[in-house]
Amino acid sequence: MSKFLIKRLLLTLPTLFGVALVTFLLIRVIPGDVVELRYSGDRGAVSQEVLDQERHRIGLDQPVWRQFLTWIGGVVRLDFGTSMWTGAPITEEIKLRFALSLQVAIMATIVAVLLAIPLGVLAALKQDTWVDYAVRLFSIAGLAMPSFWLGIVFILFLLVVVKWLPPMVYTPLWVNPKENLAQLIWPALAVGYRYSAVATRMTRSAMLEVLREDYIRTARAKGLMQKLILSRHALKNAMLPVMTVVAIEFAFLIGGLVVTEQVFNLNGIGLLFVQAVAHRDYTLLQALVMLVASMFILANFVMDIAYAWLDPRIRYR
Amino acid sequence: MAISPPFDQVVIEPARRPALAVVWEFARRRPLGAIGAVIIVVMLAVATLASVIAPYDPLAIDFGGMLASPSSAHWLGTDSFGRDVLSRLIYGSRTALLVGFGASLVGAIVGAVLGVASAYFGGRIDLYLQRVMDIFLSFPLIILALALVAILGNSIPNLILAITVPMIPRCALVIRSSALSIREMPYVDAARAAGFRHRRIILRHMLPNVMAPFLIMVTAFVGQAILLESSLSFLGLGVQEPIPAWGLMLSGAAVEFAERAPWMAIFPGLAISLSVFAFNLFGDSLRDALDPRLRTQ
Repeated sequence: MSKFLIKRLLLTLPTLFGVALVTFLLIRVIPGDVVELRYSGDRGAVSQEVLDQERHRIGLDQPVWRQFLTWIGGVVRLDFGTSMWTGAPITEEIKLRFALSLQVAIMATIVAVLLAIPLGVLAALKQDTWVDYAVRLFSIAGLAMPSFWLGIVFILFLLVVVKWLPPMVYTPLWVNPKENLAQLIWPALAVGYRYSAVATRMTRSAMLEVLREDYIRTARAKGLMQKLILSRHALKNAMLPVMTVVAIEFAFLIGGLVVTEQVFNLNGIGLLFVQAVAHRDYTLLQALVMLVASMFILANFVMDIAYAWLDPRIRYR
Repeated sequence: MAISPPFDQVVIEPARRPALAVVWEFARRRPLGAIGAVIIVVMLAVATLASVIAPYDPLAIDFGGMLASPSSAHWLGTDSFGRDVLSRLIYGSRTALLVGFGASLVGAIVGAVLGVASAYFGGRIDLYLQRVMDIFLSFPLIILALALVAILGNSIPNLILAITVPMIPRCALVIRSSALSIREMPYVDAARAAGFRHRRIILRHMLPNVMAPFLIMVTAFVGQAILLESSLSFLGLGVQEPIPAWGLMLSGAAVEFAERAPWMAIFPGLAISLSVFAFNLFGDSLRDALDPRLRTQ
């Protein structure tokens, strides 16, 4: 097992390196750089000399390959450097925002799982009845509604019907849990609905497949109660693909909330990403993309391990 | 001695049924898919006939009639510039369908060619292609599209390209797995034994046989592309004013005036949801009809 773990872990390294390289090159193709943007307000009042000096100070005058080596050298030591725009250490810039995005992602996952598993199982058990159709329509609708629009509708509903607005300023969970939840539950619901749709569909199809297996027929034939067949035989086996979908969606939620954060005025990773693009803040962008991509690679890694561990048919070599 | 035609010209004609009968059969067996198809057809009609149906010029600004609520003159009200919301929705369907179909077709075609080539050649080529795909799959859709829009600038063709790129590896992955089983088919071996070139085997023997997953990917991607376009436009990074686009209609003023003029925030979102809903419904039924093995995904 430990050999398999190490091999699988080593396999993630080339992908991570590739992500780093692609990110690094891609953002340098974006026209303009941070120095130009910072002084653009002065309308040419700044001499070329000052611009060159500033570029030299943050290392933008170096050849690209050397910049890359310096940066990668830092990343290996988990040192992401300082933001080119604010000058603050990257870890400081990201820390609070990451906590916020992580919390929304976790809450959305809870919403999604609580909706998806009962609905998916129900739809599979009542396949091709009106229950099944209703669940499928509900989940297809969830995939169709943009979560930022759902967010707008939530806010509108609270404003017009309940005459109450969720707090618009972020309070950390450990400072005031009530304020914090009152604000974050709405984005979590808006995103969680879409997310549950993906998971519901997966639960339904995985259950349908498992229910056709021989061991379920055997369990039925020996007179096992329906409840036990479901909980002990069917659900357990159907959960693996569902877990994969949940894990991957979770990883993408960390950075993929760009638009929802905008609607709810949340200062999370997604919004930071948009700002970093606008400022051409290369170091911050690189760190953010690496963070988001490694979350995804990590989720895949964890799921591979979980498969090997939970499913005895998969031999790990 | 009769000369038999070369392998690849022997065509076994499947028993042809009239197209109408096929459509009718699909509608009867998959009512949800048929509903989706009807909505798509209506959308296509609305988009092509936009100039005929739209009651007003979508760009006509009327500061006298700002934020007017829905009435017989303006069925869905007006926005903060006094522009007719219904007319903007009708013209916006052009943008959505153009970007949706453009991005999904290009993305799926490039993805299919890469996927089939990857499966056909196998070995090193397959390994390297897969690694590159893995790298691109590690970025969330929106992040990659955002970066590309920042690089390319936000004209509509660039927007299509930015949405296409993240779709390519997703399509290549699916097509590759179906192509892997096709590669083992006797007719591919036969074609190889007959000395055909790689290009010919890939284009004439393998590609036609991954049509089912290909069509499924295209329909699935149209909805995704429409969603992505509206997200980018909402952020102000996609379609630019004054071009009517649904995502753009939701940004800025729509949120600001949400309480006074909720129609500005509600109808464009409904239009996005309805169109993506239609493509998903149709795509799902198409998938079930064409390829029951793919049901799990």
